[in-house]
Amino acid sequence: MNLEAFQAFAADNQWGVLWPELSMALLAVLLLVIDLFAAPLRKSVIPALALGGQAVILVILVLSFGCAAVGDYFSQMVNLTTLGQVFRVFFVLTSLLVCYVGWVYLQRQNLPRTEFFALTIMIAAGMMILGNASNFVMLFVALETVTIGFYVMVAYARHSPYSLEGGLKYLIMGALSTSLLLFGIVLLYGAAGNPSLPHYTGDGLSYANLNNFIVANPDNLLVLVGAALVLCAICFKIGAVPFQIWIPDVYQGAPTPVTAFLAVGSKAAGFVVLINLLRGPFAALEAFTFPLLAAICAVTILFGNLTALGQRNVKRVIGMSGIAHAGYLLLGVLALIKGVDWAVWAIVFYLFTYLFGSFAIFGVMAHLAGPDDENQELEHYQNLAKNQPFLAGVLAIGLGSLAGIPPLAGFIGKLLLFIAAFEARLYSLLGVAIIGVVISIYYYFGWIREAYFKTLEVPPDEASGETARPYPHPRSLSLAHRLLLGALAAFTVLLGIYQGAFGSSPF
Amino acid sequence: MENFLFYLFSVLTILGALLLVVNRNAVNGAMFMIISLIGMAALFLLLEAYFLFILQILVYAGAVMVLFLFIVMLIDVEKGPKTRPDGLTIAASIVGLALLLLGIIAVFTTDSATSALPEVTKLPEAASAAGIPFGTSVRGYGYGLFTKYMLPFQVTGFLLLIAMIGVIVVSKKITASGDAEKEGPKKA
Repeated sequence: MNLEAFQAFAADNQWGVLWPELSMALLAVLLLVIDLFAAPLRKSVIPALALGGQAVILVILVLSFGCAAVGDYFSQMVNLTTLGQVFRVFFVLTSLLVCYVGWVYLQRQNLPRTEFFALTIMIAAGMMILGNASNFVMLFVALETVTIGFYVMVAYARHSPYSLEGGLKYLIMGALSTSLLLFGIVLLYGAAGNPSLPHYTGDGLSYANLNNFIVANPDNLLVLVGAALVLCAICFKIGAVPFQIWIPDVYQGAPTPVTAFLAVGSKAAGFVVLINLLRGPFAALEAFTFPLLAAICAVTILFGNLTALGQRNVKRVIGMSGIAHAGYLLLGVLALIKGVDWAVWAIVFYLFTYLFGSFAIFGVMAHLAGPDDENQELEHYQNLAKNQPFLAGVLAIGLGSLAGIPPLAGFIGKLLLFIAAFEARLYSLLGVAIIGVVISIYYYFGWIREAYFKTLEVPPDEASGETARPYPHPRSLSLAHRLLLGALAAFTVLLGIYQGAFGSSPF
Repeated sequence: MENFLFYLFSVLTILGALLLVVNRNAVNGAMFMIISLIGMAALFLLLEAYFLFILQILVYAGAVMVLFLFIVMLIDVEKGPKTRPDGLTIAASIVGLALLLLGIIAVFTTDSATSALPEVTKLPEAASAAGIPFGTSVRGYGYGLFTKYMLPFQVTGFLLLIAMIGVIVVSKKITASGDAEKEGPKKA
C-alpha cells in the first residue's frame, strides 16, 4: 500500500482554511448543548447567541476578505476562490436574517426553538461548503446536507397540515432531483474512466480531471447525457421551469422564515453551483449547455410572471415571482457561457439585491402574520399604510426593489444583468426578460395597492366568515426591530444609488 | 459463466425494482425491493467489490428493509382509500414512455461514430487498474476515507446530525415553554 500518497493527502487537509464553515457548525452544536444543559435559558440566551454569534462571524468574514486563503485544499475537494468567499458572506448574512425572522415567528408559535436556529446555521454551513466544492463527492454530500435540512425545516410547523404537506412534497421532489443528480454524476464518472478515450482519468469526480477529459471529448454522448442530468438537478434547486412544480405548495406551507431561506439561500446555492460547473468541467460543452439553458431561461421568465398574476396568497406570489427571478439570473448565466466574464458579478449583485428586498418583505410578513402562518392573503394587507406606516414603507421599498423600480437596488441589479446579456448578444432573450419585468410590475404593485390605497370594507353579513380580514396590528414594534427592518430598506435604497465596486466593473 | 451471472443478477435487479413500483401491496413491495437489493449486491460481488457487497447486504437488504417492514406493519397501510391513476397521469406516462423509447432508438441507430451508444460504451481490450488510487480492499477504502475523503466524511456526520434532530423536531409535541410534552401519566 502506497502510504506516502496517503500522507500527501492527509497533509492537504488544512482545517484552518475552512474556519467560517467550522465556526458556524460549532455555533450550531453549542446552541444544542446549551439547550440540553440549561433549558431555562432557552428563550433568552439562545436566540441572542445565535444572532450574535453569526453577526461576529459575518464581521470577521468581511474584515478578513482580502487575506482569505485561495486555492485547492482537501485533495481538491474544495477550491477556495474570491467568488466562494463572496458567497460565504452571502450565506452567513442569509442565515443571520433567517434566524431573525425565525425569532419573530417563533414568539407566536408553540414550536421547538433551539433546533430551528441550529438547523438554520448548519444548513448555511453546508451551503458555504457547496459554494467552494470542486469535486462531485463534496458537491453531493454538501447538497444533501442542505436538502435534508430543508426537508425538516419545511415540515417544521408539525401542527399545520400545510407545513406537513409541503414537507412531504419537497421530500419526494427533492429525492427525484437527487436521483437525477446522482445518475448524471455516475454517467460522467463512467465516461471519464473509460481507458479507450483520450485523457481518461481514474478520478472523474474531481472537477479538474473531468474538465481535462471533457475538453478532449466534448461530443461524447454519455458526457452530454450526464451533464444534462446534473443541470436538471440544479434547475430543481433554483426553481427553473420544467422543475418548478414543487414551489407554490412548499413555499406556502413552510413557515415564513423557512420560505425566506428557500427563496434566497437555496436559490443562491443553486446558482453558485451552476456557475462553478459552467466555468469548470462543463466549460467545453458550451454548444450543448447554451441552447438548453436558453430555452429554460425564456420559459422560466414567462411562466413565473404569468402564474404570479393569479395568486392571492402572498407566499405563493413570492414563490412564483421567485421563479421569474431565477429566469433573470439564468440570463446572466447565459451571458457568462457566451464569454462575458463580469456577468458573474452581475449575478452576485442581483442576488444581494434580492436578499435585501426579500428579507425586507419577509420581515414585514413575519411581524404581521397571525398564528396561522400559511394563509397570508393579499386582503390581509388592506389599510396597512394607515395602521402601520413604517411596516408599509419597508414593504413598499422591498416590493419596489424586486419589481425593479429605478431608484432602488433591484433596478440596478436587473440593469447589470441586461447589460451583460446585451454584450453577449442575447437580444431575443432580453426581449422576453423585459416583457417579464413589465408583467411583474402589475402583481408587485397589486400588493402595494392593497397596503396603501384600498379601503374597501366587506360588509360583515356578506363575508360569512370566508373573506380574509385585514391584520389587526395591535403590536407596536420595538426599536431593535425598527432598526433592522429599516437597515434592510436602507441597504436597498443605498445599493440603488451607489454600487461600489459592482458599479465600476462593467463599464 | 461471468456473463451469464451478470445477466442473471441484472434481470433480478430490474425485475425486482419493476415489481416494487407496480405492486399495490406495501409488504410485497418491500419484499421485491429486497430481491432488487440482493441482485445489486451480487453485481458488486462480480465486480470484486467485496466490501460494498457486504455493506449492501447488511445495511440495505438487512437493516433498512427491516425498518421499512416495521413501519409498514405499524401504520397498517391497507386501510387507506385506493386511488387509480386518472386520465392525465396515464396520458403523461404514455407520452414519457414514447419519448424515452424514441430517444433510445435514436441513440442506437445513429450512424455517427462518436454518438452511437455501442461505440461510446465499448470497453478497451485490456483495462488496467493503474489509475485507480485506492482499490477495493477494506483497508484501502479506510485509508481513503480518512485521508482524501476526510472532508466529505465529516460533513456526512453533520448530515446525520441534521437528520436526527429533524426526526425529534417533527415527532415531538411542544408546550408553550418550549419543553417536550409529557406523554401519558407519570409512573410513580
